[in-house]
Amino acid sequence: MKSVNSKDLQKMAVADSSPLTTHVLNTSDGVPGAKMALSLHRLDTRLMIWSMISVGTTNEDGYCPGLISREAFIPGMYKLRFETGSYWEGLGKTSFYPYVEIVFTIHNPAERFHLPLLMSSFSYSTCRGN
Amino acid sequence: MSAFRLQQLKSHILSDRKITAMSPSPSPLTTHVLNTALGVPGSNMTLRLYQQQPLTTVWHRITTGTTNGDGRCPGLITQEQFKPGVYKLHFETGQYWASMGQTSFYPYVEILFTISDPGQRYHVPLLVSRFSYSTYRGS
Repeated sequence: MKSVNSKDLQKMAVADSSPLTTHVLNTSDGVPGAKMALSLHRLDTRLMIWSMISVGTTNEDGYCPGLISREAFIPGMYKLRFETGSYWEGLGKTSFYPYVEIVFTIHNPAERFHLPLLMSSFSYSTCRGN
Repeated sequence: MSAFRLQQLKSHILSDRKITAMSPSPSPLTTHVLNTALGVPGSNMTLRLYQQQPLTTVWHRITTGTTNGDGRCPGLITQEQFKPGVYKLHFETGQYWASMGQTSFYPYVEILFTISDPGQRYHVPLLVSRFSYSTYRGS
């Protein structure tokens, strides 16, 4: 039986706790989009500006655990910004998109929201999963 | 004079370019909206094209338009205006679904792209449903 060390537990705990998750996939090379910088923002409706909630980098599986806590996840308009341009530059390629921003509305924060990004240097797609 | 003709003349006078049926030469940048939920063109969707000023990074609105019955929006930009740089197409997808009495996960969709060679043709389509969207660089 495989023993679970404290690092695994930490990883699982952090991965499970965020009600909002993402997954970046490099569809050109058929690999996870690893080491991509991204940030999560919420629209402050009073000031009508975006305020940054968290910033992170995808791991080797293309995930970025711990995007937001349950407490911070209130209804509103959010934005996930992926630094795709820098990612492709790091692989020595040019890209059509300097970065990708996905803006979405959360009405019921009790649900889980999974927002994957499937991308190549000349295309991308996303969908609402859970 | 017909109401349609009056509308055309009015749009010629307004400051930022409005789409008319009479655009002279084809735009080097085109788009096409497809409603993947229903398998139809995304028609009557408002969209705006912005160009980023390189020094200030301020967005400058170039064109406002509405997709036609085929989901297309001719005359987005002229060859003269089409300089290298970063552009943004803003699609009012939320409004589009609301006009059909439906909600959508995305209030709008913005696609930012870099034009390095304005001598080429660029096609930036948007395939959209209420809960997904995709785009690619075509020509």
